[in-house]
Amino acid sequence: MLKARDVTVRFGGVVAVGGMSIDVHAGEIVGLIGPNGAGKTTFINAVSGTYVPTQGTISWRDEDIVGHSPSRLARIGVGRTFQNVASLNDLTVLDVVKVGRSVHGHSRGLREFLCGSRADDEALTERLLEPLGLADHRHSPLQMLSYGHRKAVDIARALASEPDLLLLDEPVAGVAPAEAFALAGFVKQVRDLLGCAVVMVEHKMDVVMSTCDRVVVMAEGCKIFDGSGEAAQSDAEVRRVYLGD
Amino acid sequence: MFVLQLAVAGIAIGSVYALIALGIVLIYKCSGVVNFAQGGYAMLGAFITYGLTSVGLPSVIALVLAIAVMGGLGALTQILVLRPMLKAPVVAVMMATLGILITFRAVCLLIWGPDQIGFPALFPIGAIELSGIFMTYNYIAAFLLSAILCAGFLAFYHYTPIGLMQRCTADNTRAALAVGIHVSNQVTIAWTASAMLAGLGGALLASLNGLSLGLSNIGLVAFPVIVLGGMTSLPGAVVAGLVLGILQAVTDGVLTPAIERFLREHTDIYSVGTLQQVIPYALLVLVLLVRPQGIFGTKESERV
Repeated sequence: MLKARDVTVRFGGVVAVGGMSIDVHAGEIVGLIGPNGAGKTTFINAVSGTYVPTQGTISWRDEDIVGHSPSRLARIGVGRTFQNVASLNDLTVLDVVKVGRSVHGHSRGLREFLCGSRADDEALTERLLEPLGLADHRHSPLQMLSYGHRKAVDIARALASEPDLLLLDEPVAGVAPAEAFALAGFVKQVRDLLGCAVVMVEHKMDVVMSTCDRVVVMAEGCKIFDGSGEAAQSDAEVRRVYLGD
Repeated sequence: MFVLQLAVAGIAIGSVYALIALGIVLIYKCSGVVNFAQGGYAMLGAFITYGLTSVGLPSVIALVLAIAVMGGLGALTQILVLRPMLKAPVVAVMMATLGILITFRAVCLLIWGPDQIGFPALFPIGAIELSGIFMTYNYIAAFLLSAILCAGFLAFYHYTPIGLMQRCTADNTRAALAVGIHVSNQVTIAWTASAMLAGLGGALLASLNGLSLGLSNIGLVAFPVIVLGGMTSLPGAVVAGLVLGILQAVTDGVLTPAIERFLREHTDIYSVGTLQQVIPYALLVLVLLVRPQGIFGTKESERV
């Protein structure tokens, strides 16, 4: 489904990502891990249209998506969350989730587009906000929420677009352990429900191990390992990168 | 009673100010650009309405058509003039809007000339009397149309998906871009809506006060309105528009005659000119001194 080949992102003389390749299939949760500065977020940014790679190809369902704007990607089913929660202030939780729903490409009647619908609000609350523990806050402006809740809102927003490819950039960083596992569990549920592919950048290894079907390890802009979580933990190269010689 | 009579006229004019100011606030909110051309759009809307009636169309159809044309023109200016300036500094973009205003005035001067034109009656001529206060149909219609449109527009902004995307863009443009909103298209929508509101406002003002190039100066009254309202507050613009309209009417009817009478008795000064045109700016200075964020504005706070 997602096919990235030899993706390179350079900032001046700095090579943030150098020749990264990855395949992600439908219904698969891939954990993208690696030490700080390995280029994980830069790679996600290149896939989601924030950066244009200097070199390499990225295709999604056999369509070349290099240089596509985030709005165009949203319409063809690529959703993402952000490491630093998108800093909206005055919009309420429900508004933000509805924005996520509005930007996707599933065609709807003009009437619904102009009027919106109450039933939609109820459904979004029940399906997304309840499981994420946000139902009580649905009418609060985003700036009133705690960091953990804002992160959950960002995930709900991305999910509201019913993406076929979901890119999660450190979804549980800075979130309390119990909430982190709940969030990760919810991502898994959504995958089972929608059958979407998920790429998850994350540092918390226990969350990665319990959620991901496959682990890709990056170091210094390249892929150094691709395989199961257990194999990653015993791989010599991965140990060297993480623990030093 | 006389003051009440003035207030009625003030409310009618003020609601039209609100309509025109809404457009400026809308554009400012989602792109940070103060649209100096808004008065130009109001003037052009009135002239196009006049032009369409003079080729024989019924006035109501001419008005509706003119508003549609204004919408197209708003979208077109955004796409042709402002989109290429996407990366230009905001000040440069504002200068471009000033250029648009000058162009509009030149075009209208070329086609319709510099003289005051009798505007065709949009509404039946006549008045109703309510416990001693006369209200002409003109004023009532201007008020009702403006009020309905303001309310309708605010509802659109708050309850529809397009309105939601407008609010998201206004909240944080970069974040809106990141979550997949086509921000340029949202700005085009804002310009379209703004030009339509201005076009209608201009036609209504022309039906009350007659039509000339001077109508574009309404843009200058709209600025005190949005600053009073707090720049980013749509309801604030509506309230400030009404306040200003009433204040101008009362100045014109009560304050100016009183001052002139006093001056004629005690000095050689015969007239104080059009004092009602000074009032918006006097109020503006006062509000900026006491409450710089406007009546409905919120204080900017930066998170570090």
